[in-house]
Amino acid sequence: MTTTTSNTNISFAETLPALFTAQFGNSGWPGRKTALERFQALGGIPTVKTEDWKYTNVVPFFKNGLSIALPETPAITAQQLEATGLLLPDTYRLVLVNGVLQSALSILPPATQVTVARLSEAASQPAYAQYFNKSKKLEEHHFAQLNTALFNDGLFIEVKAKAQVEQPIHIIHLYHNNGNLLVNPRHLWVAQEGSEAKLIESAAAVGTTGTVLVNSVAEAVVTERAQLSHYQLQTGGAGLRFINQTLVEQMGKSLYNNYTFTLSESDLVRNNLNISLDAERTETHLYGFYIAAGSQLVDNHSSVDHRMPHCESNELYRGVMMDKATGVFNGKIFVHEDAQKTNAFQQNNNLVISPSASIYTKPQLEIYADDVKCSHGTTIGQVSEDALFYLKARGIGDAEARNMLVKAFAFDVTAQVKIPAVRKQVEQIASRYLSVATNN
Amino acid sequence: MLNIKNLHAAVEGNAILKGINLNVKAGEVHAIMGPNGSGKSSLASVLAGREAYEVTEGSVDFDGKDLLDMSPEVRAREGLFLAFQYPVEIPGVSNINFLKTAVNEVRAYHGQPPMQAKAFLDMLKSKQKLMEFDANLMNRSLNEGFSGGEKKRNDIFQMAMLEPKLAIMDETDSGLDIDALRIVSAGVNKLRGKDNAFIIITHYQRLLEYIVPDFVHVLYNGRIVKSGTKELALELEEKGYDWLKEDIRLEEPVQ
Amino acid sequence: MSAEQDILQELAGRDYEFGFETQIEMDIAPPGLNEDIIRFISAKKQEPEWLLEWRLKGFQLFQKLSMPTWQNFKLPEVDFQGVSYYAAPKNQVKYNSLDEVDPELLATFAKLGIPLEEQKMLSGVAVDAVFDSISVATTFKAQLHELGIIFCSFGEAVQEHPELVKKYLGSVVPQADNIYAALNSAVFSDGSFVYIPKGVRCPMELSTYFRINAKNTGQFERTLIIADEGSYVSYLEGCTAPMRDENQLHAAVVELIALDDSEIKYSTVQNWYPGDADGKGGIYNFVTKRGICKGKNSKISWTQVETGSAITWKYPGVILQGDNSIGEFYSVAVTSKRQVADTGTKMVHIGKNTKSRIISKGISAIHGQNTYRGLVKVGPNATNARNFTQCDSLLIGDRCGAHTFPYIESKNNTAMVEHEATTSKIGEDQVFYLNQRGIDNEQAVNMIVNGYAKEVLNQLPMEFAVEAQKLLSITLEGSVG
Repeated sequence: MTTTTSNTNISFAETLPALFTAQFGNSGWPGRKTALERFQALGGIPTVKTEDWKYTNVVPFFKNGLSIALPETPAITAQQLEATGLLLPDTYRLVLVNGVLQSALSILPPATQVTVARLSEAASQPAYAQYFNKSKKLEEHHFAQLNTALFNDGLFIEVKAKAQVEQPIHIIHLYHNNGNLLVNPRHLWVAQEGSEAKLIESAAAVGTTGTVLVNSVAEAVVTERAQLSHYQLQTGGAGLRFINQTLVEQMGKSLYNNYTFTLSESDLVRNNLNISLDAERTETHLYGFYIAAGSQLVDNHSSVDHRMPHCESNELYRGVMMDKATGVFNGKIFVHEDAQKTNAFQQNNNLVISPSASIYTKPQLEIYADDVKCSHGTTIGQVSEDALFYLKARGIGDAEARNMLVKAFAFDVTAQVKIPAVRKQVEQIASRYLSVATNN
Repeated sequence: MLNIKNLHAAVEGNAILKGINLNVKAGEVHAIMGPNGSGKSSLASVLAGREAYEVTEGSVDFDGKDLLDMSPEVRAREGLFLAFQYPVEIPGVSNINFLKTAVNEVRAYHGQPPMQAKAFLDMLKSKQKLMEFDANLMNRSLNEGFSGGEKKRNDIFQMAMLEPKLAIMDETDSGLDIDALRIVSAGVNKLRGKDNAFIIITHYQRLLEYIVPDFVHVLYNGRIVKSGTKELALELEEKGYDWLKEDIRLEEPVQ
Repeated sequence: MSAEQDILQELAGRDYEFGFETQIEMDIAPPGLNEDIIRFISAKKQEPEWLLEWRLKGFQLFQKLSMPTWQNFKLPEVDFQGVSYYAAPKNQVKYNSLDEVDPELLATFAKLGIPLEEQKMLSGVAVDAVFDSISVATTFKAQLHELGIIFCSFGEAVQEHPELVKKYLGSVVPQADNIYAALNSAVFSDGSFVYIPKGVRCPMELSTYFRINAKNTGQFERTLIIADEGSYVSYLEGCTAPMRDENQLHAAVVELIALDDSEIKYSTVQNWYPGDADGKGGIYNFVTKRGICKGKNSKISWTQVETGSAITWKYPGVILQGDNSIGEFYSVAVTSKRQVADTGTKMVHIGKNTKSRIISKGISAIHGQNTYRGLVKVGPNATNARNFTQCDSLLIGDRCGAHTFPYIESKNNTAMVEHEATTSKIGEDQVFYLNQRGIDNEQAVNMIVNGYAKEVLNQLPMEFAVEAQKLLSITLEGSVG
């Protein structure tokens, strides 16, 4: 059963209460209703008048009679999965279709190390009770509230205390629909004390005729001395649009690394990455690389909240803007009053390689403690003329020289990837895009 | 002039000096040697009054006054000068303005009127010549963009300007090439006199070939474990510090 | 207790040096804001009908506009009806020499360390002294007149050069730009007007001292500076205000117009009453300043040293319309006690080969909150646009704040934009180094801060640089320096 608005010109926000009632009725978990009210109190779908959405107009994406009811999950074959080209060797594999875990297609990590469950079946887990829907920044995000009101399912992962999970856990999000669907996957990932794990996320559309707008929320909790590396490989196809909320809470002496690579054909990718450093001596590294081409809009918002002393965070995001695309970077370092001895750095570099592309960047520091070392830097520019000349003087043609330099710019970030297969895949996809760009 | 008795000090709760005794008289040059981490630079920092160092026991008498009771600037005004191991860069503060301020602060402390611009410039010029200090460096920001050698020479030049009673040279030779070492040492030798004293902290014997000490002390694990004359420095050069550790059977060195 | 805390306490306890009130008879409009008051102001100033209409339009816009919500501080409630919108010294006479000026007024300036006569004789600065709202003394007029330079009060310009005023008034800062600009355009009291004719290089720094005086009088200056083709002018604006318990609103508008090949250098030293250590009193300084490089090869340079006011809220900007034009912004903002500064610039690149440079140095002490907020915007036709921005923040004490919010927007693939920002504590090693040379904490901090701000202070004309250094010392006196 799908509930679709009959008039495609009516905005989603107006029809939302009816959609909500049709889908969830008035019973069930009361948190949904609260979130819906909060979403409406925040003003519903944000417009460009909302500071955080100043450069990213999502209103048009909510106009085409979006459905929120999931279609029946089609049987996805191993061949179809293979054909996505996303598979990585030597990984555990969790395949989700429209947010629902498909055990048959998955290769689970050993239960002694990791608990994996559908979120909808995880309510009895103590970690669920402790952490689900508790992230500090949830309240501030329009779309996190929308997700909380509407989420259907998602992935619960708990890495057990002291477990050293050798192989990466590869989460493959597949989306399928025949109309226009809003899907709200909801995840909770907990790395228990002293554990070590790597999560890789990939996404693809399978057999979709319409578009799927994915509004996901992932809450990740990295507890004491745990280490979590999190790769978000956004290489999905044209039929997918993304609004991602990733909310990470770090406890004492924990390490969290995030790698977000946006190399897709999606019209819209908006990432909200929020890191909350809740205890002393944490370490955080955020790496991002994005290519915006065609008329794409790629928007990376991040915030790092230093709440406690002696924490270190480091952020490097780079982007290449081509065609008529728009890139947005907004990164905030927030140092709270008691977070003395904070070291926080942020760097955003952008290459704009076609005349009609735009970039909007807003690095921010908000600092209420004095014994800190914080800095940010941002650049907008082109490949260095000196470097170009140098290469040409060695006999390399213009296009090839540019290509080399753009790749060098990108690969500074991808070189940070610690999993060789991931790095290879990302660089191959990036090369494909960049070669097209620089040969035009 | 300087009388250190049973001096104990700690940084963030870690004991770093564990009972130093040292007596320095006017006209003397004392060398303090020792392996890395033995507490040499800590001693310099404690004497100059760096905040992170907490004196837990002992006393330091400086010309009849309690040195430990004074703020860092008062110690400086009383005539204690520290040549830094790593002189600090202060962007935008001109070397000359800084020196003028410092000289006049010291004068004011001793009840003397500030120096007139002309007298100050004359003094500046004569000391520049004496110390072979590049006049161009005078107009630049304090140590900003100076090479390691230039910074050290600037410190020695400041010493000439401030005319301290006691100069503590904290590894002044580190990072200096042979020419700079010669110039710095020559400067120090010119400033030596019967009314002032020097404490030369160094890891190597090399500097002591140029500035010949009256006494040599070996600092190890926060204590002076051996004292002697300049011959001790040669012995250390030859044998290293290990024989001392065995001989004296000391505890493990502090971090 | 650490040495730093000693300094902070001393700073907090320091009183405003320039807090006194001059007793001069005032001609004051009753408090309140309505069309009648605007008609009263306009009539008092014997303004032409078109200007009254313009004011009334500003008032209508003011009523429609709402308060901004994006700022990083709590906006105090301003009772617009509690403000008197007109205050002028009585017995308005035009003076031929300073001897004829009320001696008490002259004494006021003397207390501020800016005696007119001495300035006049020693520095060669023409001083148009604005005491509250009305010009009372203008010097060097004859010399400027010979060159065809117009330097007069805004009111006088309305009477004598209406065509210039009409052409440029509101052309850079539209009345609807923001609510305070709208308010100013409705009730502006007086201010300065400068016109530099073609090819003329103004031989002296033009200087105006503004001073808020009478109780409950808001200040709404309006400044308009036009540099015609190939001309040059350097304009200095300096402010001090007497101590006062009620908050006072200051909402000025400054418009600069640079035509082909001309250059305008605008320098400000702002030292209004910042309020006491608990945040009581102090000036609200909500100013709209903007210049346009209208002509090719033109240049506008803003330099500001902001040490006063309870809240400083301003973004002097440059619209780089002419090809090859240059915009610059150099700023030092110091906040101590409970002061708030939210300041920065807007560089809007429209023409080809336009360049902008932004150097901002923020210093926060005690409970001061200092925000750099800036916009660098490169339009699609601004081929080869270049921007360099450096924002540094220095923190003194663990209860102050430093914030950096740059907006960078580029729609041109030949543009190069570079932004860097750093935030750190005052260097303990640096303080110790200076201590070890006999310099005490307060003086050490002072030296370090002045060194830190040097790149900006160097942009000021000599006389101003000295005053600015003094102000940094006073504000940080105690604070740092």
